[in-house]
Amino acid sequence: MATYKLELKLNGEKLSAQVLAHENLLSVMRNKLGAKEVKNGCNKGDCGACAVLLDGKAVNACLTLALQANGKEVTTVKGIGTEDQPHPLQESFVRHGAIQCGFCTPGMIVSSKALLDTIPNPDRRQIREGISGNLCRCTGYNKIVEAIEDAALKRKS
Amino acid sequence: MKKDPKDQLSNYEYQFIGKPVPRHDAWDKVFGRTKYADDFDMPGMLFGKVLRSSYPAAKILSIDTSGAEKMPGVAAVLTAKDVPNNETVTRFGQTHQVGGFEGLYRVLADKKVRFMGEAVALVAAETEEIAEEALARIKVEYEQLPGVFDPLEAMNPDAYQVGEGDSNIICNYQVRKGDVKEGFSRSHVVVENTYRVPFVEHAFLEPESGIAWIDDSEIITIRVSTQVIEHFRDVADVLGIPHNKVRVIAPMVGGGFGSKEDITVETFLALLTWKTGKPVKMTWTREGSIISSSKRHPYVMKYKTGATRDGKLMAMEAQLISDAGAHVYLSPWVLLYSTVDATGPYDIPNVKVDSYTVLTNNTFTSANRGFGAPQVCFAYESQMDELARRLSLSPLEIRKRNYLRKGDALATGRVLEYGVETEKTAIKALEALGEPSMPSSPTEKIGQGLASGMMSYGRMTFLHDTSRSYVGIELDGSVTVRCGVQDIGGGQASSLASIAAEILGVPMEEIKVFIGDTALTPIAGTTTATRMLYMSGNATLKAATEVKKSLLPKAAEMLEASPEDLVFRDKKVFVRGAPARAIPLADVVKACAADGVQLYNVAQFNAPFRELIDFKTGQGQVFPDFTFGSHAVEVAVDTETGKVRVLKLVACYDVGQAINPLSAEGQIEGGALYGLGYALTEEVILDKGITLTPSFSEYLVPTSVDAPHVKTIMLESRDGAGPFGAKGIGEPSCNSIAPAVANAVANAIGARILDLPLTPEKILRSLQKL
Amino acid sequence: MIEAEYVAPSNLGELFKSIEGRAERVKFVAGCTNVLPDLRAQNPAPMLLVDLTGIEELRRIEENNGVISIGSLATMTELAASEIIRTHGPILASAARALGNPLTRNRATIGGNIADASPAADTAPPLLALEATIHTEGASHAKREIPVEEFFIGPNQTVLNQGELITRITFPIPKDPSASSHIKFGLRNAMAISVVSVAVVLEMQGNLCHRARIALGSVAPKPIRAYLTEKELEGRKITEEVLESCAEVVKKEISPITDIRASAQYREHVTGVLLKRALWQAAREGENSTNGNI
Repeated sequence: MATYKLELKLNGEKLSAQVLAHENLLSVMRNKLGAKEVKNGCNKGDCGACAVLLDGKAVNACLTLALQANGKEVTTVKGIGTEDQPHPLQESFVRHGAIQCGFCTPGMIVSSKALLDTIPNPDRRQIREGISGNLCRCTGYNKIVEAIEDAALKRKS
Repeated sequence: MKKDPKDQLSNYEYQFIGKPVPRHDAWDKVFGRTKYADDFDMPGMLFGKVLRSSYPAAKILSIDTSGAEKMPGVAAVLTAKDVPNNETVTRFGQTHQVGGFEGLYRVLADKKVRFMGEAVALVAAETEEIAEEALARIKVEYEQLPGVFDPLEAMNPDAYQVGEGDSNIICNYQVRKGDVKEGFSRSHVVVENTYRVPFVEHAFLEPESGIAWIDDSEIITIRVSTQVIEHFRDVADVLGIPHNKVRVIAPMVGGGFGSKEDITVETFLALLTWKTGKPVKMTWTREGSIISSSKRHPYVMKYKTGATRDGKLMAMEAQLISDAGAHVYLSPWVLLYSTVDATGPYDIPNVKVDSYTVLTNNTFTSANRGFGAPQVCFAYESQMDELARRLSLSPLEIRKRNYLRKGDALATGRVLEYGVETEKTAIKALEALGEPSMPSSPTEKIGQGLASGMMSYGRMTFLHDTSRSYVGIELDGSVTVRCGVQDIGGGQASSLASIAAEILGVPMEEIKVFIGDTALTPIAGTTTATRMLYMSGNATLKAATEVKKSLLPKAAEMLEASPEDLVFRDKKVFVRGAPARAIPLADVVKACAADGVQLYNVAQFNAPFRELIDFKTGQGQVFPDFTFGSHAVEVAVDTETGKVRVLKLVACYDVGQAINPLSAEGQIEGGALYGLGYALTEEVILDKGITLTPSFSEYLVPTSVDAPHVKTIMLESRDGAGPFGAKGIGEPSCNSIAPAVANAVANAIGARILDLPLTPEKILRSLQKL
Repeated sequence: MIEAEYVAPSNLGELFKSIEGRAERVKFVAGCTNVLPDLRAQNPAPMLLVDLTGIEELRRIEENNGVISIGSLATMTELAASEIIRTHGPILASAARALGNPLTRNRATIGGNIADASPAADTAPPLLALEATIHTEGASHAKREIPVEEFFIGPNQTVLNQGELITRITFPIPKDPSASSHIKFGLRNAMAISVVSVAVVLEMQGNLCHRARIALGSVAPKPIRAYLTEKELEGRKITEEVLESCAEVVKKEISPITDIRASAQYREHVTGVLLKRALWQAAREGENSTNGNI
């Protein structure tokens, strides 16, 4: 079967892989590029666990052909911040108890980051709207909303 | 173990307990470092897939696997004949066998299939695509059978037989207290209704997944997303090998909610790795998960409740029928919970409960957050509001006149010996709800609703539940906890760190908790039944206390003080009242090590052991204790479309003692939304055994814009059976929300809906607009 | 197993060259929000995936001489944010905001939403009410302009030929864009497939409705215009009574089904309710709701 060369930047690092025409970015990220932080919750765009930034825009990796990321920059939760340089969102999620099982967290952080990039000071309605493509079954969203609100404030100051 | 609540310390006296500290696992999760089951690869691993039944009820005439076996890249194709012990029984209790109900089930279907998702064959192949293609090449010849899909129909003696027995009724319980006939005759009002609740999907975000391999010493090792590592015993039994040749490791679990209590992928993985000698990974698709894994039981509940003119409950009669689906699994125990909880947190002199769980050809049902409690809570709390309406009493007033209090007995005779603060939770919840909002349009109606609930924590006492924990202090003063808990997201591991930190005065960051490995951590039982904090928290508390005790004589000697005067804090040992007199904890540990003092302790905590109750009267003790609480909600109902908006939601539960308030609140908020989905949108719809809601496009979990802000009020009675007076909160937190919503809707529109979920369509029907 | 090839042309010329002689295997892809789940669910014949996302000329949203032109690759996020659309076709912006969720709105394109032709396609009712035209281009540069009411045939069926591509969608600027309204009714406030959706564009003379265009989603095998209801309304003042009669008439021109989301009877009832609300809103200078979801 025909394969194609995919070249992209993943969290700042240039990577390449041979991929199938119809393979989605989720599968390639997890199985060929080692990006296990991108989670497979439904493989159908219904849960947001696989959200990544594609040239800065939050998308479901499961609804993106891998080859559509060719020549582009993909950012996962690992590219948003690290232990040495955590993003205010990451610190805020931990401090507010916005994390339970953690399976939605990588996608949730990605969507939150995209939200704050567009609306730096969102109100609660905008925050809820911004993460409405990311299901969380554990928290009831309360603490996630509070964490995002707090991170926005901290980033401002 | 039982301590008077006034002997417990309060939060300001603790260093870690009761403090909102970040959970130790949260950092890994927020940086994307946590490795869940599917995130772990092995060199040369194969991919496992399951062929599932094409019909909900059929005879298997033949299976031809030759087409699949011939495919390049296929390493194994297994059917029932390849499984050493295919026929096994569902046994109840990981450590203590109890008689009563044993449900035959087969690892792979043989001769007959009972539901659409039933596993018929297994494949292991070099890639997922090859495995998928191999499934398509397995030819199964079926002869369709009629099946039965309605539990009431299935109860008929001449109904289609789902299994091989002579009745579809798995079991029946009765509770008998007083004389209901007499009770009703002395009642001024009697309300009678039949309530129905649907199948519910757990909808954890992480689908079932695991990887298995055979290690250097021939141990079959399974790293799996599970709530129960003790299934290693069942896996070994299926393979016909000694129990100590199977090791199960549970990494962080991406949500469980009960469905990862039963075996999911582990037996399949063990079989495939055992057959091929290679590592095998298996992860279910979301659709596969929804179609084939357990669901929450639908119930049909007939309730009749009578009360005097002044609102005192006189009698309650309930008939509960639950749909067990195609296999027994935990249905008898779920039903027993419902039976004991059937009368709710109320003192009723005359009670008669009859309950049944029945096999059908629907997807099997088993544990789901609440384990039988939310179903009956919807019914009894709907009845309470109906009585209040008929008696012109407020919903709070009628409840206040009937709430059970500490020292009272349940209908099953069990005396409540720990804190019962239901009334306080209801008052506080309603207070916080405040005055009703104004409608935003003439067609909108506002309503408020209250519901209280009770649910046990800790397993049924006749299961003789135990847990163990290891606490050790290292030479540098850091602390190691080893405890076989499964962490499914509730902070199960982190709370153990809080407890060890509190006792030994060591910061949270310097406590390492190793969890979930049958080879390396002491067996701690299941992460189910809201038991982990109660059981493993107590075991860890006991172990940490023992370690501290063993350090005390040496520390006292070094500080020239009496042991009772020593305080462990900030990795130092202080003399009370003389903060200058302190030595590093590490120095004490080193000195103890030199003297040969034991620096660790493995403690076992036993729940109360009782014998099986009498199933004909229901009399006896089934649970260690209960958690009580209330929900109050305000809704706006669009009377033209039937759409419900939840404007306010208050959850007030008595948690006994919050070990980590962030985690406890998180449980209460998450539980509220879990229950809100049950109330409004969630339903697994089956049509003659076929799932019509196989993905999250059809099965509607609330999103962030459907969820109201949950106001949490935590009461701390410090009067629970857990460590520091804690009660369990994980499951009880979702209990009373659906009836609170139903009561609010009834309050808004003046009509009561008896079936969940409260869809716009049902609301319009109840308004007689359709 | 799926057999697929992939090309990613950077302009239309390249595109048609690359599919020459292979048109029957072509599957155009852009946002992939429908394509990828469908591929997973079905077992398709060998195909040539033609990725449109590199074709910049299909992305433009512009206004020329009173006509709005939307490139087929415009995403829901772009439509919702576009000043041109918000000003001249606010009901389309509203529908774009109500589709899926922020993640899918960043991917889903208007061309894809129309080509997929779900009876519940979110952008279809506004486009019908705006009397949009679908512009296509096929092999050997054959171009067609198809009125949107002729575009849909049935569930997931359109008049598009194999290998024929939607290039842009145009609509004339309504005389008063604010006299329009859009309501989507779903069972959730995000990630919802509509149970019923309504879009209306009215031309008002005072409180007299001079001309009405009414479109509905999820109540027939395809998104439809409600011509009879339009007739019922035209030339009349918008009063409670007229709205009631519209709600009755509309029931005659829909043919809803019962599915897991709602019964036919419920859809029929709610169509009337939403229609009345939409007409009332539009008539009251159709202040469009900030979010099309209700």
